[in-house]
Amino acid sequence: MKALKLLLLPYMAAFVAAAFLWPAPAEGFIGESSRIVFFHVPCAWTATLAFVVAAAYSVAYLARRNPRADAVAHAAVRLGLLFAVLALVTGSVFARIMWGSFWNWDPRQSSFLLLLFLYAAYLFLRAAIDDPERRARIGAAYAVFAAILMPFLVFVVPRVTESLHPQTIINPEGKILMDSPTKVVFFAGLAGFTAIFLWLLELESRLERLAAGAPAPSGNGNLPRRPGV
Amino acid sequence: MNSLAFLATVNVVVWAGLFLYLWRLDRRITERERNR
Repeated sequence: MKALKLLLLPYMAAFVAAAFLWPAPAEGFIGESSRIVFFHVPCAWTATLAFVVAAAYSVAYLARRNPRADAVAHAAVRLGLLFAVLALVTGSVFARIMWGSFWNWDPRQSSFLLLLFLYAAYLFLRAAIDDPERRARIGAAYAVFAAILMPFLVFVVPRVTESLHPQTIINPEGKILMDSPTKVVFFAGLAGFTAIFLWLLELESRLERLAAGAPAPSGNGNLPRRPGV
Repeated sequence: MNSLAFLATVNVVVWAGLFLYLWRLDRRITERERNR
């Protein structure tokens, strides 16, 4: 694991350098603005992944009442929000270049903003409940509910209405409309951002365990159980 | 240096900084886990 983390530095450095220097800019875009796809889409993907992870750990908490599962779900939502904000910011930069203003109330922009509000509400909900067990239970239920809405906001709403947003990777033709260098760099970016998210999630989980006074992970991949649970 | 090369350099520095921050945080957490 340590070796994989060490490899992330040259990997991400190579990815970032390649994103700016290797593939030619895509047609139909102003200047070099198409290069933002290498950062914007991985941020959106990572946010979505984080929210799915949060839902999975929330289900695990509701099934077994393991507080570690709730801690991971909470961390995943926080990280998901971070990447969602980054996706909105990078998207807005692109919007300024291509469409003349940072915000256009475009369906994709608006639905992603709604997604961000949906998950921000999770944090407000948790902050409003004092009892830890009740907070975890209600938070978990909310995260599951939010994850049911998420595909609708991310995949459906932007496709049923006219949108300024460029055609996405998942498109009606069922083909990836990128040349080879762009494809290589794009998927490398997806993998790199996913690795960063997983590392951040692992750090958050370990910090939570330290704060709770639990023993260090044994490396078998299982969350430690609270005695009596 | 053209602007793309400049942007690439800036970004590589930013990402290297992020990596080093995460690496140091990881090591500090590992030390605290060991000292428990």
